[in-house]
Amino acid sequence: MDRRRFLQLAATAGLGVVASPSELFGQYRVMAPVRVPNPLEAYPSREWERLYRDIYRHDRTFTFLCAPNDTHNCLLRGFVKNNVLVRIEPTYGYGKATDLSGNRASHRWDPRCCQKGLVLGRRLYGDRRVKGAFVRRGFKEWAERGFPRDPQTGRAPAELMKRGWDGFVRMPFPEAYALHARALDSIARFYSGEPGRRALLAQGYDPAMVAATEGSGVRTIKVRGGMAKLGVTRIVGTYRFGNMLALLDSHVRAVGPDKAAGASFWDSYSWHTDLPPGHPMVHGDQTSDFELFAAEHANLLLVWGMNWITTKMPDSHWMTEARLKGTKVVVVTVEYSATANKGDEVIVIRPGTDPAFALGLAQVIMKERRYDEAFVKRFTDLPRLVRLDTLTPLLAREVFPGHRDAPPNNWATVVKPGQAAPPTPLQNGIQIPEALREEFADFVVWDAGAGKPVAVRHGEVGEHFTRTGIDPALEGTFSVTLADGTTVQARPVFDLTRQYLDETLPPETTSKITWAPAEAIVALARDIASHGGKTLFAVGMGPNQFFNNDLKDRAIFLVAALTGSIGQMGGNVGSYAGNYRLSMFSGVPRYAAEDPFQPQLAADGPVAVKSYGRYESLHYYAAGEVIQREGQKQFTTGGHVPTPTKAIWLTNSNSQIANTKYHYNVVFNTLPRQECVAINEWWWSGSCEYADIVYGVDSWMELKYPDMTASNTNPFVQVFPRTPLRRNFGTVSDMDTYAGVAAALATITGDRRFRDYWKFVTDNRVEVYLQRIIDGSATVKGYDIRDLEALAAQGIPALMNTRTYPRTFAWEQVHESKPWYTKTGRLEFYRGEPEFIEAGENLIVYREPVDSTFYDPNVIVARAHPAIRPMTPEAYGFDRAKRDWSGRQGRNVVLTPEALLASQHPLLPGGYRSVFHTPKYRHGSHTTPIDTDIMSNFFGPFGDMYRRDKRSPHVGEAYLDLNPEDARALGVNDGDYVWVDGDPADTPFKGWQDPARAAEYHVARLLCRARYYPGTPRGIMRMWHNGYMATPGSVRGHESRPDGLAKNPDTNYQAFFRYGSHQSLTRSWLKPTHQTNSLVTRKHFGHEVTKGFQADVHCVTGAPREAMCRVLRAEAGGIGGAGVWRPVTLGLRPTNESPAMRVYLAGGYART
Amino acid sequence: MPKVYNWQLGREMDFPYEATRPERQFAMIFDTNKCIACQTCTVACKTTWTPGRGQEYMFWNNVETKPYGYYPLGWDVKILEKLGVQAMDDPVYQGKTLFDAAPAGEMILGYLPEDVDYAHPNIGEDDSTGLMSQGAHLTLPHMQWMFYLPRICNHCTYAACLSACPRQSIYKRKEDGIVLLDQSRCRGYRECVRACPYKKVYFNAQTRVSEKCIGCYPAVEGGRQTQCTTSCIGKIRIQGFLNAPDRVNPENPLDYLVFVRKLALPLYPQFGLEPNTYYIPPVHVPPAYLRQMFGWGVEAAIATYRQAAEDRTLLGALTLFGATPEIAHYFRVDGDWVYGYDAKQAEIVRVPLKEPVVIRELYDIKHKAYRTNIT
Repeated sequence: MDRRRFLQLAATAGLGVVASPSELFGQYRVMAPVRVPNPLEAYPSREWERLYRDIYRHDRTFTFLCAPNDTHNCLLRGFVKNNVLVRIEPTYGYGKATDLSGNRASHRWDPRCCQKGLVLGRRLYGDRRVKGAFVRRGFKEWAERGFPRDPQTGRAPAELMKRGWDGFVRMPFPEAYALHARALDSIARFYSGEPGRRALLAQGYDPAMVAATEGSGVRTIKVRGGMAKLGVTRIVGTYRFGNMLALLDSHVRAVGPDKAAGASFWDSYSWHTDLPPGHPMVHGDQTSDFELFAAEHANLLLVWGMNWITTKMPDSHWMTEARLKGTKVVVVTVEYSATANKGDEVIVIRPGTDPAFALGLAQVIMKERRYDEAFVKRFTDLPRLVRLDTLTPLLAREVFPGHRDAPPNNWATVVKPGQAAPPTPLQNGIQIPEALREEFADFVVWDAGAGKPVAVRHGEVGEHFTRTGIDPALEGTFSVTLADGTTVQARPVFDLTRQYLDETLPPETTSKITWAPAEAIVALARDIASHGGKTLFAVGMGPNQFFNNDLKDRAIFLVAALTGSIGQMGGNVGSYAGNYRLSMFSGVPRYAAEDPFQPQLAADGPVAVKSYGRYESLHYYAAGEVIQREGQKQFTTGGHVPTPTKAIWLTNSNSQIANTKYHYNVVFNTLPRQECVAINEWWWSGSCEYADIVYGVDSWMELKYPDMTASNTNPFVQVFPRTPLRRNFGTVSDMDTYAGVAAALATITGDRRFRDYWKFVTDNRVEVYLQRIIDGSATVKGYDIRDLEALAAQGIPALMNTRTYPRTFAWEQVHESKPWYTKTGRLEFYRGEPEFIEAGENLIVYREPVDSTFYDPNVIVARAHPAIRPMTPEAYGFDRAKRDWSGRQGRNVVLTPEALLASQHPLLPGGYRSVFHTPKYRHGSHTTPIDTDIMSNFFGPFGDMYRRDKRSPHVGEAYLDLNPEDARALGVNDGDYVWVDGDPADTPFKGWQDPARAAEYHVARLLCRARYYPGTPRGIMRMWHNGYMATPGSVRGHESRPDGLAKNPDTNYQAFFRYGSHQSLTRSWLKPTHQTNSLVTRKHFGHEVTKGFQADVHCVTGAPREAMCRVLRAEAGGIGGAGVWRPVTLGLRPTNESPAMRVYLAGGYART
Repeated sequence: MPKVYNWQLGREMDFPYEATRPERQFAMIFDTNKCIACQTCTVACKTTWTPGRGQEYMFWNNVETKPYGYYPLGWDVKILEKLGVQAMDDPVYQGKTLFDAAPAGEMILGYLPEDVDYAHPNIGEDDSTGLMSQGAHLTLPHMQWMFYLPRICNHCTYAACLSACPRQSIYKRKEDGIVLLDQSRCRGYRECVRACPYKKVYFNAQTRVSEKCIGCYPAVEGGRQTQCTTSCIGKIRIQGFLNAPDRVNPENPLDYLVFVRKLALPLYPQFGLEPNTYYIPPVHVPPAYLRQMFGWGVEAAIATYRQAAEDRTLLGALTLFGATPEIAHYFRVDGDWVYGYDAKQAEIVRVPLKEPVVIRELYDIKHKAYRTNIT
């Protein structure tokens, strides 16, 4: 008799109310001869408790550094039992970190870890570890056949380049190195000189790109260490390898060190669209930021397009604790985000309208005269006069006869030709090369006191400007007689900006464009102004991944500068996306660019530095190996032009091949043109699926050489300690792979310098390289790598020795009146270079998103304005009706706000009616480690460890978030599978319509779950960025495996999609203002300035968050496609609530 | 049936065993205003205690987004619906507890979830109430809202699981109040699973016995806080011990926040279990919903939290969260710092209420380097 039946009988027998547990449980006594009088009081036999104490016990612990590209980096403690890593915990060592002067961080920094780090134990032993070196069959055959090529074009045989569809063979590492070296040597030789040039042209490469090789085949070899700061020797080593290839070039082309060319280097920070490209346009540096613990110094914290609590997880407490202590938190967002629930106020805007929103704030501040006049006059170019005829800023030498620009005398020096700037730790101020001296010319303001134009020098900022006694006019139109006697009209930047804002973006108009309620715009503007100097603008990746990102930066800086919230501990602008600022280790060139022709073999001898590499933006590759041209206009010129790509070596990077924007076009159309693709990985990623050579390398838990890293959001310098954990999978260090291929090149060429270049790797003394970097770095010079590693092994990092703690960008500029890295030395809100004037972006204007809009894409929104006079499409020689991917990018069309709102995106009539955006999520740092079972299970609402629905690609899966009303209108239920399509002209890849390419299209078209997500506005759809894409192998697995997993049966690659991916809809967009040859910026590694292209500082950024989509219902959400997803049927989902759920939501079960 | 005093309800209630309080009660406080739903706690717990066969679906610790998140599916909606609308308009609870509402022949009102109810542990993540319009300006309390609710076993004073176990294999430890399920005696009848309204006991189909959160007693016995607490990067948790309500010590941070300041409130106190995990309510959520969840005193707790900036002792107690892996038995605020002490009054940690600012010399003479912020 079961117990329920017994109780029913007891009840009918009249027992009714049970008096005691003993009576109730009497029936069981025969099975349990133990009686516990009161289990609240005592329990008889507790020996069993040993069970959990045994589980908790461990044999030993060790420390390792977890460092995905999540911008944090955490020293973690691994617990080992029976030589197996059983669990991971934080070290609580951050509160013990000190600097060189004995200042110490507090334990408010502890604990540092996250869920993604704590599951690494399951990844360490996971079935996707790369267990050795693997070579693709077709590639192996190509090599064994002696690298045969098509006689006409020089192309490698297409049938041997079927990446993604081919299989792999395992090979001893030395053999793989030799194969790799032979391929590089063959490619370098074939593509050098005139024959190489002809082959590249025959293969259809743009002549400008071919010319950029300068005849060197080595230049077609591309290397990329993904987010190199995450391993200053291990990952930066990829670039060191590329620098070393100048040696190969010297053999191939028989040139000396003066003419030799190294490999081409791909960008990182800008490639990830983490670079805020408008920052250098305002202050000349890569990025303005503040360490996030500055939050508690702010009165007003504006969290803008930044999902702080999901992407800055270990630093989220600085925000919530600041709020606890009285900081007002306002969240500017495109949805009710995770961070929104930590806000005192939340303002929801239309995605990609951030520049308009910021300009709307500036309009209120200027109109109501709430700006900080002293700050504006002393630290910005807003008083600077602009000529209305040429739209160029007025220069003193144009106005004052015989004027000679004064030599820089405030924290700036001119570096004479032939001289070198001092080593970075000894640079005290901006280093201006003589060749750029002219750029830093004295400018002109209208002195309201004297009633005449006056010259202002580069260094006259802050107190230095106050001492001049000049009172510059901010408003008015002034007639200025030039030195040549002619008279021109000129107006201050402030005045031109004010006119644009007043006429185009008053609150009501801004509201119509941005969706933000007008009262919210006015209230926030006043709030910012009332907290002058104490407003922190924490700006995230959201708005940065739109095409108008530079305008967003310039506009937000304008708001901050107007209110003096720059350079203060609690008042500043910061951009937060990805990790960057490798130049915190400004001594890196002593390793990355050591001269390969004379490697220093003595540990502490002087190091000759010479960079032979050539940087380029990967966005041209992702766009299909093209540059930007339209009509007669070539937008991509000068240093921006990339070279053709023939060989690739990627380390620590899944973002270039697998998680690339425009993924399927890259793998199905572009990648087949490459001839050697090598990848270092410790986990078989989507990129490995498409590689020729995969080197299985150590995970962070198995590193056998120390390494070093840091973050832009916290003050720690962190060392990866070498660990005692044994290598279980036959892996090697990344460093061994460089040394291995270099040794093979030494064999091929007979030049031992290839081998010598990696001497301290083969000698197991990598700390020599690390110490060289430390000694050359302004922030850490004085540390000994041995001390740092010993501390790290105890879970303790060290502090960076920057000027302030928290490190606060522009603190010195504002507090010590030092110039920024701009031509005027001031924050600049006017760009007078020809490219900006041509683009209509000399003033900060609002452009619609390039794709994610319901309106005419990429148009400039403005009423007639004397300073907005862009080059029209017609002037460039193309029709303004050309609004495809290519035409849209350089299309300068001006619409009034009313005309904009009456216009239409060209794809709307075809049913592509929703914005599709792909932000980053809490349960993945990019793709790490979302396919680890526990993480997958928590990746949204569809996780199921038992996979009751065999359609599910894994124990969790990617999904599309839709506004429930949008979903209903499409006939889509919560939990259904849907097809999601982007621009049919060229996504998911160009040529998908060709029936011969049906197999590729089958893999590439996105199919995923749909979720009703009430936090997103109508017309805005979201999908997380972090999924592993479907590959030919995963699709084969999904369709052939009995378990239905989307898992490649040969490689174990596990996709997070049944078909397609979040990158099925995205493309790589190129913006003209990102490609100037005239912008002056600070160079990496020190205080030198440069002009034009600079990777990760001034180059294209891609706009990966932009796409319009069409959604079609594919399959029902119930298990196996039968009926509706179960939680919906139970009435527990948004907009499908049961009566009980409705009572619950209203708090109706408590009567009050 | 014996009458026991439930301080959270301000009244006596029926419970099958005589009341006897442990020497000290394992307890935890969560500041929901700081929880980021990262699930680091969940993974810390999972990798330490339940990584094995039969435990795949099992999360002794979980974080769910309220109001649409639940693990298992709909757990609180279901039990609230069964219990019905109850009066909660007085500091002394006038409604029925789950013991009061037990059907004839049952110890407590409960239900047994279906296996599939555990399938989607993160359902509802970030789902808010309402429907977002095209553009919005939300102010406090948010007109459209969600928040994160982390949960472990409540180690209840009047534990339902314990009361319902026919084998009497669940007990409360006298020394620390941790409620344990004897793995060697349990026979997997799942009466505890049915009885626990929080659904924090799980059946293991592999071992055929039930399991639950053990309050990390192997750590706690050594003076360390639980795995979910020491891994909490939101620094939302503090775990320690609560004294009996008649022996409150204001120097104990948990006593101070629960009894003295009444800032941290129990989860669904109306169930009558006197649960021992306490929640600082989210300040942005409408009070009607919060009162249903945390009972009497929600508005006062929110007001207290909003004034913490001017209250150094309170701020100090809250700054102690996540500052140390050890259990803080006592705390003291002195100047700009808060200090935590162990059971023997020895200092275990000190942290500043505000992280001090450091301005370094521009030129470091000793190491010959300019220490700029930009480099």
